[in-house]
Amino acid sequence: MQSQKTSTEEPALYAAHNKLYPREVSGYFTRLRMLSVVVLLGIYYLLPFIQWDGRQALLFDLPARKFYIFGLTLWPQDFIYLAALLIMAGLSLFFFTALVGRVWCGYACPQTVWTEAYLWMERKIEGNRGRRMKLDKAPTSAAKIRTKAIKHTVWIAFSLWTGFTFVGYFTPINELGSRLFTGDLGTWETFWILFYSFATYGNAGFMREQVCKYMCPYARFQSAMFDSDTLIVAYHPERGEPRGSRRRGTDLQKAGLGDCIDCNVCVQVCPTGIDIRDGLQYECIACSACIDACDEIMDKVSYPRGLIRYTTENAAIGKKQHILRPRVMVYATILLILFGTLLTNLLQRIPLELDVIRDRNTLYRETRDGLIENVYTLKILNMDSKAHRYILTADGIEGMKLLLDQPDIEVEAGTVHELIARLQADEFNMEERSVTVEFQLQAIEANHLTTIEEARFVGPGKN
Amino acid sequence: MASVSPLPEKIPGIQKAIAVLWPSFATAIVATGLFFSAFHPGDLVPFDLDIDVSPLAAYSIGFFLFWLLGILSSYGTMYFIISNCQVLNKQQD
Repeated sequence: MQSQKTSTEEPALYAAHNKLYPREVSGYFTRLRMLSVVVLLGIYYLLPFIQWDGRQALLFDLPARKFYIFGLTLWPQDFIYLAALLIMAGLSLFFFTALVGRVWCGYACPQTVWTEAYLWMERKIEGNRGRRMKLDKAPTSAAKIRTKAIKHTVWIAFSLWTGFTFVGYFTPINELGSRLFTGDLGTWETFWILFYSFATYGNAGFMREQVCKYMCPYARFQSAMFDSDTLIVAYHPERGEPRGSRRRGTDLQKAGLGDCIDCNVCVQVCPTGIDIRDGLQYECIACSACIDACDEIMDKVSYPRGLIRYTTENAAIGKKQHILRPRVMVYATILLILFGTLLTNLLQRIPLELDVIRDRNTLYRETRDGLIENVYTLKILNMDSKAHRYILTADGIEGMKLLLDQPDIEVEAGTVHELIARLQADEFNMEERSVTVEFQLQAIEANHLTTIEEARFVGPGKN
Repeated sequence: MASVSPLPEKIPGIQKAIAVLWPSFATAIVATGLFFSAFHPGDLVPFDLDIDVSPLAAYSIGFFLFWLLGILSSYGTMYFIISNCQVLNKQQD
């Protein structure tokens, strides 16, 4: 098989790495991919600037330990929701992989998206494939240094903007921006901006397809989700072979040739540098650049399109295709159950929590009236987006009295309020030495905001 | 099939470095998330030392500690596999 002779050697990051110069391509799938790139990058760069209820709509406020996701505020206690969201993201990847193959890799993976953006900048500055290769081979000159300097300056500027945006998801971006201009950025903020910028610059500017080939775990295990009905990008060997160059108007049957004119354009456009005609390979990120490239060539030589196309293994050998298969249905069912559970839990979530801590120093105390008294520290967590006033009651022993150190319990939105509660009960009403009591906290004018917390009430015990 | 001798010496250094740094990096992100959702950095000052660090600094330091632990573990795995391969190589020679 002819290898790509047109690439130049570069210091090996991995064994014998040849720098790739993906050729520009146009066509339906390329437009689709570009649309995806623009939309996803747009979301990434603009989302932190969107406001919701007077604050940043999406903010993972690490210092304050609160995650704001539009109308939802998640506390560290709600970590399970984030974990569920991550599991769902993983399962969705399985589901879509089984159904449509590696669309994630080709259209949505940040590695692909940023690589496309950096390639675009490279093309605008250094020119098309031929010019880029010529420039790299050319001896050092003032013009070469200038072109390279412009490219790296633009790349670095874009990387820094990317790093800044990234940190803007974790600390309010408007404040971060004003601090950037007044030079008041914190050490760690600066560090993470630079860290993420450097990672973007390295991954999208230099590592590119090598991240997919050597670092991506998904690329290694995605084949486990594949079956004969999964959508793949494939070359049609029965139609294409034997490949070879020919003059226009050659009788293919007489010349003993297939439809592939062996122009190698499919190899030149490939961002991972493979030859799709060698069959399905794990390096293929299903970006479909080769489909567009080949269709364009087929149009030029007046052959039907689709020598390289989206297909399935079954379709390629003329077998019946199945979209709904056990594998797909199992992934879909698990996904639906998880989604349903998460949604129900989120809708039923009560943004109120009560923690009861018994006084550790004294088990109990006897009052002047001869009652047994236990002291508790109560922590009220108002996780709602507005302030509330609450009524606290206690239950569990007949005739038990609840005394508070403050008459009104009012808790601001998103804060923790601490108070001391005393429970007094007659020893004769206690069936055992230690009795379970319940504190019930209810918001006034918002009855659904109710929570019950159990605690122990300890007495001297019956002799 | 004739036995193919494992050639760990031929794995480029950068590939080894990434094999150690990258999985430990990903693990450190998960570990940091789990750890700090359970514990507030303010409650973690060791041995009652009076250290004043911002939450962001605490999270960052925590992340790097987790990364370091992951690196140690990944490096250990790689070391044992590679030294095993070297022993096998010698036996085959």
